[in-house]
Amino acid sequence: MGKSVLLADDDQLLASLLNFRLKKGGYVVHHSANGKEVKEYLKNKMPDIIVSDIMMPYCSGIELIDYVRNELKSKTPIIIISSAGNEQNVLTAFELGANDFITKPVSPTELLVRIAREISK
Amino acid sequence: MSISNTKDLLGQLSQLERTVSEFSFEELNAAEAKELKSSFNTFRSSLERHIYAPKTDHVVSNKNEGSVTENQDTSEKQFIAHVSHEIRTPLNSIIGYANLLKEEKLTRGQHKKVDAIQFASNTLLKLINEVLEYSKLSSGNNNFETVEFNLHSLLNDVMFLCETLVMDRKIELLIDIDENVPKIIKGDPSKLSQILLNLLGNSVKFVHQGFIKLEVFTKQRINNECLIEFSVADTGIGISKEKIKTIFKGYTQAEDDTSKKYGGTGLGLTITKEIIGRLNGEIEIDSTIDSGTTVRFRMPYAIASPTTVPSKSLKKVTKNDNSGLLVGTEILVFEDNKMNEHLIVEQLTKWGCTVHADVDLDKGLYLLSSRKIDLILMDLKMPGQNGFEVSKAIRNHKNSNVNSVPIIAFSADFTEQDSKDCKEIGINDFLLKPYTLDDLMSTIVKNKKLNTEHQDFASILQKPMIEPKETTVIDLNHLMKDCFGEIDMLNELVKLFKLNAIEFIGNVKIHLKTENLKEIALSAHKLKAGFAMIKADGMRKLIVELESSCKTNQFETVKELYELFLNDYPLLEENLNSELEIMNKK
Repeated sequence: MGKSVLLADDDQLLASLLNFRLKKGGYVVHHSANGKEVKEYLKNKMPDIIVSDIMMPYCSGIELIDYVRNELKSKTPIIIISSAGNEQNVLTAFELGANDFITKPVSPTELLVRIAREISK
Repeated sequence: MSISNTKDLLGQLSQLERTVSEFSFEELNAAEAKELKSSFNTFRSSLERHIYAPKTDHVVSNKNEGSVTENQDTSEKQFIAHVSHEIRTPLNSIIGYANLLKEEKLTRGQHKKVDAIQFASNTLLKLINEVLEYSKLSSGNNNFETVEFNLHSLLNDVMFLCETLVMDRKIELLIDIDENVPKIIKGDPSKLSQILLNLLGNSVKFVHQGFIKLEVFTKQRINNECLIEFSVADTGIGISKEKIKTIFKGYTQAEDDTSKKYGGTGLGLTITKEIIGRLNGEIEIDSTIDSGTTVRFRMPYAIASPTTVPSKSLKKVTKNDNSGLLVGTEILVFEDNKMNEHLIVEQLTKWGCTVHADVDLDKGLYLLSSRKIDLILMDLKMPGQNGFEVSKAIRNHKNSNVNSVPIIAFSADFTEQDSKDCKEIGINDFLLKPYTLDDLMSTIVKNKKLNTEHQDFASILQKPMIEPKETTVIDLNHLMKDCFGEIDMLNELVKLFKLNAIEFIGNVKIHLKTENLKEIALSAHKLKAGFAMIKADGMRKLIVELESSCKTNQFETVKELYELFLNDYPLLEENLNSELEIMNKK
């Protein structure tokens, strides 16, 4: 069975494309558009990697990192999707334990490379 | 337009409202979220029924009728707090899709039903905006201003707007301003217009024949302070004595079936009373069933002496005054209707424009060749002269200074043929009457010849049409590669893209009204990814600019950029559709 990816992004359009490409790449994808739901999901099941947008309703990507690292005490790799001009957020994300980040507009090919790299580490 | 469809929809909304009022969104658990979802689905499927199953009988559920007023306090607060995103997003999609649907080949019956959907959705949108306004007032977030303004011209503007509402109906609209009413007073003009429009609008809604009369007089005057009484009397359906007592409470309407018959949240009067209260005024209602209603309200104002009023403060009659944009613009107006001409000249002058009006074709051509005119406003259907002919003569003039001046046409009705004619003649844009001042302003700003302050986008707009406009360019090849050449995926993504754009249009429209730049910035932000995907770099730049203007609080710029977006998006979508079609054929 393929590696599992949790994709947290409330942009339906981008998420659809990424979901499509991840599945093509052999990943098992769980997609959620809501930070709160993501937290619920993670309580029961930890994927092999988490890809999350910084701006999410109910729970931001930053909060999510904090939750995974400090509350769930998990070292699952996290890749953050951020917008250009949000450098401060990216720094905070790294400080909290994010493993990598990718800037919008997201190239799906690049994201897949980054995911593969994190998982193989 | 089918009222029963509307009623059905409003019934659905009430049900939705009750569901929503039972829990707080912060504490939303999965089961509750599910219930909310199913309410929306009911609401949606009800809409779909109107399109796909024309013969279905619409049964309005009367079961829970009237319970909207129950548990008022809690229901109000919770409903208001959460009404925004969760309701408006699907609603915007409904409106957007109804628009798209209308462009397809529909039978007359289907067309009528789509009309009903649009009417109902717009009614809902209006209701939601009313609710938001109310919540803004209750939370004290509403801004009041104190400026000097011309009361008489405000009253005339308000009456003019009402006239457009009662057109085609046997209602006489009367106004009586007592001589002792001061011309220039100090207070909040936009709130006063809002109150008057609310009350007059109510009358228009409930009067089937007879008259609506606005009376204004000075009740009391001590030195520079005065108490002005306004009364709106009508020959409408009236309100019973028992109901008058509760009518100012939120979510109440005179009779339980009023909202079914006439629409509305029942918040109009609550909002009105709230505003009057904030301005230290008072309001009372006198009414007899079947013979009419009189609403009186008194407001304290300071009198400004007309001589000391600098013309600058007169400009502040409208709150969203952005006169700076148009200062120095020279405009030529062709309009036969004296009242309209007067109104438009006055407004343009307030904005700092130099206006030439009361002209015929010869005089107009003379002015165009002898002065540097930035823009022409043209009434298309003047009784004395034909706007199309006048425009044609201007476009065919041999002097390039004359034939290149932008023309904005306005008209009360605008047929497809008119639009074709306009295009053929070379008329640049048009305004449908009744238009708001904002419409007028933005259309002028968009079209006027040289705009130094906004040259960037002006230059985009001025580009000849042979070259595609930068803001409408797209390229799907890249996205097709990302989809590994799978056309179904591409179709799906384009569908989502369009949906996002429609939601954006709706969201911004709403948030502009409440000047919620934070939400607009967020909506713009979310849109960027999609425009990047389809390589619509020009439009993406515009969105980025819009987002950053939100962050620097430049409300007027945000509005203009949004107008530009509205203007160009349909062209972009057209390009998108045709490119997608080509790819589908490959």
